[in-house]
This record gives sequence, C-alpha cells and structure tokens, in this order.
Amino acid sequence: MSVEVELSSIFGQYTSGLVNMTVKGKTVREALHDLARQYPKLKRMLLTEDGDLMSSYDFYVNGQSVYPKDMNTPLKDGDKLNVLYVIHGG
Amino acid sequence: MLTEKERQKYDRQMMIYGFGEAGQEKLKKARIFIGGAGGLGSPAAIYLAAAGIGTLRIADHDTVELSNLNRQILHWEEDAGGKKVASAAAKLSKLNPDIKIETTAEKITEANASKLVGDADGIVDAVDNLPTRYILNRTAIEKGIPFFHGAVYGFEGRAMTVVPGKSACLNCLYHNARVPKEKFPVIGVTPAVIGCIQATEVIKYLTGLGELLINRILNYDALRMKFTEFTIMPDPGCEHCGKAAGKRK
Repeated sequence: MSVEVELSSIFGQYTSGLVNMTVKGKTVREALHDLARQYPKLKRMLLTEDGDLMSSYDFYVNGQSVYPKDMNTPLKDGDKLNVLYVIHGG
Repeated sequence: MLTEKERQKYDRQMMIYGFGEAGQEKLKKARIFIGGAGGLGSPAAIYLAAAGIGTLRIADHDTVELSNLNRQILHWEEDAGGKKVASAAAKLSKLNPDIKIETTAEKITEANASKLVGDADGIVDAVDNLPTRYILNRTAIEKGIPFFHGAVYGFEGRAMTVVPGKSACLNCLYHNARVPKEKFPVIGVTPAVIGCIQATEVIKYLTGLGELLINRILNYDALRMKFTEFTIMPDPGCEHCGKAAGKRK
C-alpha cells in the first residue's frame, strides 16, 4: 500500500530538504511509522513514546480533515497524507 | 452617509464591481476587534484602517521590544518600551483620522474576552498563542460573530474564517491541541501576507462580496511559494461549536 506524504517545509531540516515522499502503510499510523523509519530524525519530532502523532501536529487525508483524529484511519493505495505543524505565532 | 472627503478617499475601492458607496457605508458602520497588535495585527489593522472600517478596537497588553521590529510594522524603534496599543493608535490615527481607534492594554482572558470584544461585528485573531485563540474562537461563537483566524511560523502561515452556525470553527480544526509555549521563528513578510488575507476576509464579510474562506484552511508555504487548501468540515463533537456546546442539533 503506497501512500504519498507531503510535509511542511519546516520539516525539511530533518529530511535533507525533502518534503514529498512515498511511504507504505494501510493506516495513518503505519504510514507515519514508515516515514519515521525512512527519516529517523523525524521520529522524535512527530511521534510520542507510544508511537502516536504528537498533539502539536495535524494530518489531512486527500486534502480533508479527519474526525476523530484517529491514527488507525485507513489509507488506500495512492492516498495523500499531509502532516502540518499546529502553528501558533502571530 | 459618506462625506465628500470620504468619497474622494475611497473612490478606487468603491469602483470595484458590487462595492460602491453602499459597500463603503457598511465598512464605515463596522466595528472590528483585533486581538493583538503584533506581526499579524499590524498589517491587518493598517489595511482595515486604510479601507475605512469605522471602528477598530485593538487589544494588546505587550510593550514594544526591539525584537518585534522585524515584523510588527506599526511599531518603530522610537516606540521601544512603550505600550503596543499606544504606538498602534498613533500610527493608525495618522493614516486615517476619519476612523475611530479604541485600545485596551488588558490581557485577553476567559473572564474579560466578552467585555473587551463588546459589540464588535467580528474578531481578527492576531494573537501569538493557542490558548488565547481558543478564548476568542469561543467568544465569537457565543456572540454569533465571525472569527478571522491567522497564524504564522517561520516562512509558513495559515488563515481560515469562522462564521458561527455556518462553518467549522478553530476548535474543529485543532481539537484543543496544545503546543509548548516557545519563542517562535518568523520573518515579517509571512505575517504581512497572512494579516492581509485576514483583512481581505473582513472586508468581504462586511460588504458581502465573494466567497469566504470557510470550511477550508489556507496554508501558505513561502519557501515553496505554494498555497494549499484543506477542507475542514464542522466537527459534530466540537466542544466549542458542536453538539457538546449545544450549538448544533
């Protein structure tokens, strides 16, 4: 199951500048864990010790918000997963 | 009723199809609350003042620091050490003496937000932290007035308009997400873009022109010079605007 991931540019410092990548996974959890495996510096940024997405990040599937924010949200082949930081500056 | 001076001043925007003198009168009658006179609040307030919004009510409890000056363009080096609302009012009054600038240096809290916003027709979210954003989001829902959200970080920015009863709210988007309180990186051109988008949304809402940025968030990634939209549907379980808050059936 191949999923396209797009990250904000702010993540580029942990991925040698890459923000578009392909990962494998049948759920958001599996996709993010594969992402962390491919880019180990991202792991501490994105995932809690329990392997969940930190609450300071948000994800969208195919450009849509997901309720509830469930890491077990299923993904299909070719889906696009966007991960954004909950930015808060003003 | 517009004065002859106002007709001359706003001539170019009244020429826009659908705007006219009626649109300008709507702006003149409007009262807009701006939470924060910093990076987002500066461009938003400047363009709302220039457009002729009748009353701008600005709240900010901070004082001007040198480290603000790369982006908070209402404040200049000579203002360092003074209250932000004082330097904001001084600049905006010079830019447009025909509008009313009201200020408060009270910190926005759960207890005073409703009083500070008062009878405003809309709230511009130009604060620098999530907890205050949630307070203003909830205040807008309680009062049934729009909330014009904006946020920035580095070269990235985001904007979304909330119209209570018609759209998703900030809490539908973030679900009480918390981020550590931190000194965030930012360059002035980022809030310049987002603050102007917020001001544009205010003007569109007041005049009834165009389509608002509701049920979608606009993400601006300046490093890639890319705007991306994400669809945000109202969350029925939202604690601010959903069933739990008694706001939806």
